[in-house]
Amino acid sequence: MKFPRGDGPAAAPTAPVGAHGPAPWQRVTVGVPGPEFEARPPGQYDFDFPDTECDGWSTPSLSLRFASVRGAKHRYYRQPRQDAARAAVHESTGSVVFAVADGVSSAANSELGAVEACRASIEMMLHQLSGDQDKLVFPEVARHAAERLRELARWRLNGKEPQPSEVAGLYATTLVAGAVHVHPSGPVAEICRIGDSGAWVLDSPSGRYQPLFGPKTDSEALVVSNEVTPLPHVPDPLEHTSARLDSGQVLLIGTDGFEDPLGDGDGQVGSLFARHLAAPPPALWLAHLLDFSRETFDDDRTLLAVWPHSTAESR
Amino acid sequence: MAETRGVLLPAYVLADESQSMGPYRQDLSNGLVSLCEGLRAEPMVAAKLRLAVLGFSDDVQVRLAVADMRTETSLPQVSIRGLTNYEAVFDDLLARIPSDVQWLRGEGYKVHRPVVFFLSDGQPTDGGAWRQPHAKLTDKATTPTAPNIVACGIGDAQAHTMVEVATRKEFAFVAKPGTDIGRAVAEFFHALTASLVASGQALNSASPQLVVNRPDQFTMAIDEVGE
Repeated sequence: MKFPRGDGPAAAPTAPVGAHGPAPWQRVTVGVPGPEFEARPPGQYDFDFPDTECDGWSTPSLSLRFASVRGAKHRYYRQPRQDAARAAVHESTGSVVFAVADGVSSAANSELGAVEACRASIEMMLHQLSGDQDKLVFPEVARHAAERLRELARWRLNGKEPQPSEVAGLYATTLVAGAVHVHPSGPVAEICRIGDSGAWVLDSPSGRYQPLFGPKTDSEALVVSNEVTPLPHVPDPLEHTSARLDSGQVLLIGTDGFEDPLGDGDGQVGSLFARHLAAPPPALWLAHLLDFSRETFDDDRTLLAVWPHSTAESR
Repeated sequence: MAETRGVLLPAYVLADESQSMGPYRQDLSNGLVSLCEGLRAEPMVAAKLRLAVLGFSDDVQVRLAVADMRTETSLPQVSIRGLTNYEAVFDDLLARIPSDVQWLRGEGYKVHRPVVFFLSDGQPTDGGAWRQPHAKLTDKATTPTAPNIVACGIGDAQAHTMVEVATRKEFAFVAKPGTDIGRAVAEFFHALTASLVASGQALNSASPQLVVNRPDQFTMAIDEVGE
């Protein structure tokens, strides 16, 4: 296979299988690990939400990886992964569009809400990019995702028009959606968020994480805040931002399962990911890495990363 | 937000040790044992909790200091004595909770808003003196670590008092009239364990929230007040 214009990333290196076969991957631990146990199955109708998902590909200008893993809490208490991520390339512009969602655990089917919010927002962003708009219209993206949740709820309620509280009770989810556009002067990311998931630019040479949104908890606050306003509520104004990706920088989008152990990024978790994300790793390795074990951090984790090709040299 | 070791929920159990609880001392002890064992059976939840057990009557005495129940081996011992001084409770919490939160933060943890489970079998014997420290304790502007308070009344404790003590009216419960007090104590600890386990599961998620289960044989105090 050849990349268009022949300027794709280098192929991932391969290793020959030794006499005893490759060693199995050991669980990555950070600090004190959490309890080790065999994951229990989620409910019988949760078969559409596998424990782990990952994806990875490159365009001529950008490399994408994402992984989403079920947290220890859900593996133990037989609940499905309630995080989701999706990504696509807009073929005529080369933009990479993406969405990351974290289903609210108190909602009855937030795992489906998260997936559908990702699907709907990506569909709308692709639609907008195919029009004559040079920027994404995020309120329209968010409303489209909220409308998808409402439609789902109406179907679930056998055609009865659902109240917003009923939609939230079934499918409430946070959402970060956006795109990385290819520009002659370098890739530019534009992103919106509803809820408390995070976005950063990781500067690989320094290992520093520059947050693109404010922290969900004031660092000086004595107790952490529990307040999240997820979809189907669409805030007005909608929180959004943009960032240029310079050489050596990586755009990261993560749910709070990643954000909480990361903190400022200046500890062990930040160091681990800065080291492994200096170049796009195999998608399966990102999933394995993201599944690190650390005491008390047992939520689902999702991490999506986009590298400009000046940064990317696939391993 | 520097890297944290985890996000913890500090939980305080305030057990009435006044003389009128004398006949139910064993029920209190059994309830505390079942609470400790219930949390040990849920190590993933227990990892995110720190439990303190405080006995109160004329004063407040520590039966279990803020403890990690995965590793704590001692069981709290209750001691029946004195009157039912609510003022002593809220004065104590006013000093204790901010200090505990600072200590946990110093240990590298972030902290959820603490929760107090208050069990009393009588009306306060300090008149209305408890209202001032209670108001200060529960005012988030004055006390940033102000706890959520769940209040359960048994015996002579009145519904309207539990509604005043609890920080939300749906956090106030009283035993149904005629309920055996020993059984009510046992049900309080069952509900307390279930509430902590459910809250622990809901922590570190997109919707961390305090889950409060109504103890069996209890009603919402607000229903008894008739508001």
